[in-house]
Amino acid sequence: MNAPIFSFEGVTGGYGGGIVVNDVSGYVNKGEVLFVLGRNGVGKSTLLKLLFGYLKLTRGHVRFKGNDIGSKKPEEMSFLGITFCPQERVVFDNLSVLENLVLMSRNRDVTPFREYFECFPILADRLTQDAGTLSGGERKILSFVRALGEERQLLMLDEPTEGVQRENIIHIANLITDRKKSGSTFVIVEQNLDLLEALGDHVLVLDQGRVMLSGRADIVSREDILQHLGV
Amino acid sequence: MGSFLGRSVILLVGLFTLPTLFGDFWAYQLGLYFLYSIAALGIGICWGQAGFLPLGQAMFLGIGAYLSGFSLIHFHDSAWLFLLLPSAAIAPGLLAFFFGLLIFRGRVESGPYFALITLALSLLTFQVATSWVEVTGGFNGLGGIPGLPGIAGFKALYYVIATVLTISVCGVAWLVKSPIGVIWRGIAENEPRLTFFGYDTPLLKALAFGISGLLGGIAGVFYAPHQGLVTPNLAGFILSAELLIWTAVGGRKTLMGPVIGAILVGSLTAELRDVVPVWELMIAGLFICVVLFMPKGIAGWPEQLFRRIFSHSRQEEKVTLAARGILTAPKLELSGCSLSLGSVGILDNLSFQIDEPGIYCLIGPNGAGKTSTFNAITGAVYIQSGTIQLDGERMSGLLPNNVALRGLGRKFQVPSIFPNLTIAENLLVAVWGGRCSLKDLFSYKPLNWSSTIITDLREKFPFLNQDENSANELSHGEKQVLELAMSLLGEPRLLLLDEPCAGLSPEETEKVIETVHWVRSTFDTTIMVIEHDMALVKDIADQVIVMHQGQVLTIGSVQDVQKDIRVKEVYVGVSI
Amino acid sequence: MDPIALTIALNVVYEVTTLFVIVLGLAIVFGLLRVMNLAHGEFIMIGAYSAYFCQDQGWPYITAIPFALIIAAVVGYLIEFTLIRHLYKRPFDTLLVTWGLSILLRELIELVYGKGFQSLSNPIPGSVNILGEPYPSYRALVMVIAVVSAIVLWAWYRRSLTGARVKAMVENTELAQAVGIRVDRLARHTFVVGTCFGALAGVMLAPLTRVEPFMGLDYILTSFFVLVVGGIGTLLGLTAGAGVIGGVQSVVANLFGETSGYFGVLLIAILFLWLKPNGLVSRS
Repeated sequence: MNAPIFSFEGVTGGYGGGIVVNDVSGYVNKGEVLFVLGRNGVGKSTLLKLLFGYLKLTRGHVRFKGNDIGSKKPEEMSFLGITFCPQERVVFDNLSVLENLVLMSRNRDVTPFREYFECFPILADRLTQDAGTLSGGERKILSFVRALGEERQLLMLDEPTEGVQRENIIHIANLITDRKKSGSTFVIVEQNLDLLEALGDHVLVLDQGRVMLSGRADIVSREDILQHLGV
Repeated sequence: MGSFLGRSVILLVGLFTLPTLFGDFWAYQLGLYFLYSIAALGIGICWGQAGFLPLGQAMFLGIGAYLSGFSLIHFHDSAWLFLLLPSAAIAPGLLAFFFGLLIFRGRVESGPYFALITLALSLLTFQVATSWVEVTGGFNGLGGIPGLPGIAGFKALYYVIATVLTISVCGVAWLVKSPIGVIWRGIAENEPRLTFFGYDTPLLKALAFGISGLLGGIAGVFYAPHQGLVTPNLAGFILSAELLIWTAVGGRKTLMGPVIGAILVGSLTAELRDVVPVWELMIAGLFICVVLFMPKGIAGWPEQLFRRIFSHSRQEEKVTLAARGILTAPKLELSGCSLSLGSVGILDNLSFQIDEPGIYCLIGPNGAGKTSTFNAITGAVYIQSGTIQLDGERMSGLLPNNVALRGLGRKFQVPSIFPNLTIAENLLVAVWGGRCSLKDLFSYKPLNWSSTIITDLREKFPFLNQDENSANELSHGEKQVLELAMSLLGEPRLLLLDEPCAGLSPEETEKVIETVHWVRSTFDTTIMVIEHDMALVKDIADQVIVMHQGQVLTIGSVQDVQKDIRVKEVYVGVSI
Repeated sequence: MDPIALTIALNVVYEVTTLFVIVLGLAIVFGLLRVMNLAHGEFIMIGAYSAYFCQDQGWPYITAIPFALIIAAVVGYLIEFTLIRHLYKRPFDTLLVTWGLSILLRELIELVYGKGFQSLSNPIPGSVNILGEPYPSYRALVMVIAVVSAIVLWAWYRRSLTGARVKAMVENTELAQAVGIRVDRLARHTFVVGTCFGALAGVMLAPLTRVEPFMGLDYILTSFFVLVVGGIGTLLGLTAGAGVIGGVQSVVANLFGETSGYFGVLLIAILFLWLKPNGLVSRS
């Protein structure tokens, strides 16, 4: 079995010297999805920020395609083939929907995005409007489509379905499934258990910054997870 | 107080001996820079203390000088001068105060815009001075101004100016040390937080601006007889900029910094500007360095040294205020509250009521609107429809400080304290809010206040005893606790805590929970807590309010909420 | 058409278009990057002195353009790299540091050229016929260049993505990094483009005004007022601001004299700062 395309061990760190994430390890193979679950405030977003280079690692290693990327800055990640969709402030509110999509392209041509407009016609309708006028769920969709358009090998998504309507969550799940087949890998922070059940290959459950439960999604049971989510 | 007087006498004596050392004429030249330094003290108060940048300080100098010059020319030997001259100093002060009120209470939020407005105003003053030829003499200025009555000759005027400088320095020193100085420094660091303690910060900033105007006016009053001529340049942009640079290089945050800057740099520049061609270049470079690396300026280290040599702990009587005891329970009612930003809905017809004292935990997934609810209740954000009432009185639409004064306390999610103030000062700021009238702020007495609550909290959390330490040095957990302590000191009837245990170790969390229970039982306070940690919620909540998408989903006891299927769905999603 | 009215109208157009050119550099640096560059006027001064230098050497006037651009680019690059880039999140300090820089630059020029003013000779003397009335050729050329560059810039800005990337970077730096924008580099280049436009304005205006070390002061103050009134961040705002300020200044000056013109501008600026600080064309 090949080594996982993306792995992290003993990741520890937080904001301004405080420790929020403590000794978290995990991995995901190429073409698979790793879900990171946990209640609010347990450190899921902080973990992603540590992995993507927004926060400095106090301890731990992050590896992508065999290389240590623990000290890389976020701007360098795109060249490495990794993209990120944050949980908040997910799009550029002051730019139009179109500009948000083509920002890093060669020109303002949206043809590459046509296939996504079929799933999400709302984007085509609001192409010239400022992204700030979209609802929360619509912005999440825009952010997701932007990430897909970048065609990178590893996509880190922080709560991609928050505020998104049911039908569109299904589209998102299908698109992720298709991408998996083309070889893209995903790390997804979520609170939606059903997305996990449809797509997940690995799961990591966090509480108070530590790993409570980890394993392959088909082995770990829903009850176990719910228990650790503590609701 | 004794050493304070002593230091002033030393200053005065020092200034008085200068003519003997350096000759009368040189002393006379220096007198001009004494006047500039009085104006610079004003910049020190606005910028160094209260944290806003006045780019047009010379305008007050100019106004004072024109008024004084005009009075001296036309009321030469009359007794009217005793009224007119002080008015010439006070007028710019009042002007500054009212302008300040207008601007700070208006829509202008950001500091740089205030700076630009003062710049534009000073340019306007310059234009008026140049154009209103009949009164001001136009571009050539107001000339032939006689000396002050009874004061003949350079030497006598020098002593008068030196005395005025000493008195001004004393006045500013007193302000800096008194409670209002502490509040100004708080404004510079974290103005929004102060409003939640009940302070009317626009008024306090306007006061600072008014005092700086007064100082400029005083300088102007003596400028006119000293120079004999007042030209529009006195009110102009160039002088304002120079005053700013002298203040910065001298050290804007120190007391003597502006004075040293104006006298040293100002007079040296006048002497050397033609002799050393690169002098102005060097000063510009020094200015840039000071802004970037040394906000304390050249007076910074000497002042710290000075303080260490001459300081003594004030062993004055501490006045401990008794807690006000159990207060009337608040009735909070939100009905139909809605708020959206653009097309994003934040609160959607939010309604709930709290009648009884107790601990209410507000829970819900991200984006549910929990912090926004707190923001709406405390006046940080205005709802667009619906009402919020406290004890039947309408609160929606009130400014945060007015809400706070009605008995609301708030603790923020990210610890919001005053890092560069000492721990003692942080606590005092919280104690004063709502208890100190404006007059009290100018007296030294509130500096000695303490409260029985502080005494109790110090037992629980020993680090609060480190009075003189800067709050910056505290760990994250200690900052959380400090802010919690501060939110209690106003003795609120309704206390809003936003994730009080975020980032705390288990031991710290336990202590905080204990404190929350203590507050609840001692003061019968009504407490609302936003929390994510279910274990915590189970521990403290009397009732749980579950929010989702800007609305209340359900209210009930912990057990009820745990059994509710809808709550589970909201947290873990609907099946697809 | 009545010759006096025509002259006034042409003067108004002249004021507005030259104001546009003057403020453009600051609109980029302040409007896009949010850097309050008080040294902007000094870059115009650098451009003007570069033109003087070239003319003094006997070179054709057009050489002033690349000469001024190189100097402005080098100075701008140095300033951004050593000072400005540490201050993006500190607007007060930026204000102060750039003010110190403006004094520095002024003093340097004074050391080389002295305090007095230089006059340049008109590169295109004579006059041209506009609607039957003679109008100085060089002024006419300046207006034409200003209008043409405004149109070209607008067209380019609409098509290119660079402006969008700058705005994105300023609005949401973390997300900009995530999509792969090299934030440091983009900020630096934007700053340098702004200073270069300032120098270009100086080259254009040098033959029409007194070239002296203090010339930048007037420009910087008026520039900020234009941006306050017009609104920052858009070309439309810049045009609106230039229109209002330039229009008020020249109309009032033509009717009541220079001083009143300046008064009018000041009053409008104060009103806007107080009541409508986001300007006429605000994005939010």
